[in-house]
Amino acid sequence: MALGKIKADTLEHSTAGSVDTQYVVNGSAKSWVNFNGSGTVAIRDSYNVSSLADSDVGIYTLSWSNSFANDDYSSAGASGQNSNAMVTVSCAIDTTAPTTSASLYNTNYENGSGGRFDSNQVTIQVLGDLA
Amino acid sequence: MSEILVNKLTGTSTAGSILVTGEGNSTTTNLQQGLVKVWFNYNGSGTIAYRDSFNCASLTDNATGDHSVNFTSSMTSDDYSSAGIVGNGNNADTANSQMRRGTSATGSIRLTINYASGGETGLFDYSEITGNINGDLA
Repeated sequence: MALGKIKADTLEHSTAGSVDTQYVVNGSAKSWVNFNGSGTVAIRDSYNVSSLADSDVGIYTLSWSNSFANDDYSSAGASGQNSNAMVTVSCAIDTTAPTTSASLYNTNYENGSGGRFDSNQVTIQVLGDLA
Repeated sequence: MSEILVNKLTGTSTAGSILVTGEGNSTTTNLQQGLVKVWFNYNGSGTIAYRDSFNCASLTDNATGDHSVNFTSSMTSDDYSSAGIVGNGNNADTANSQMRRGTSATGSIRLTINYASGGETGLFDYSEITGNINGDLA
């Protein structure tokens, strides 16, 4: 069966309302990932992620399968640790500037002196314009 | 302007896979993969309650700063991606309020809500808790 293709500006549901398709294009996450950042880092599940690199303690590099149109995309993330000692673990964009094809992220803890930490639960979502 | 009236979108080759042309007019992105499957905004202070949400069922108050969001439609696995921000209600520490991901399951996610300030951390019931989840629906 040949692939179908629909061009439309609006999608309308019978009861749930309608949405301009620009919200579908612009509002869809272009990448998301769930990975283990502790020990040998490994992706559990993802979309549009070509690789995960362990760049240093608490620093990870994510590369995208399909690049973005620019480096101005939006990232959101959360991280955690199955350890009561690490009460607070955060996920941040690294000081290295993102590029259209990759971005660096940090995970940190804030107990005591704080510092970068290899979290075993890291999840990140990215929205922006694909190339 | 063209308009499609429809209640359900289904892929022709694979039911759960529809491609959308990206902003650059060349690369495509997968509609199902890109859609947020769960989002929520709830008051975590006092009697916790949703203000608004999508694909959320009940909300469980496990303890101070320890809440579970239960999904209406479950995910295929607990490997989904989550993100969120919290705040309001703890003037001493709003600059560093955080949402930590706790135990996850296909039908729910457990969130630990913390503050951090000057090396001190603690669990706290913030009044503004928002988050969303990307991943695969069952």
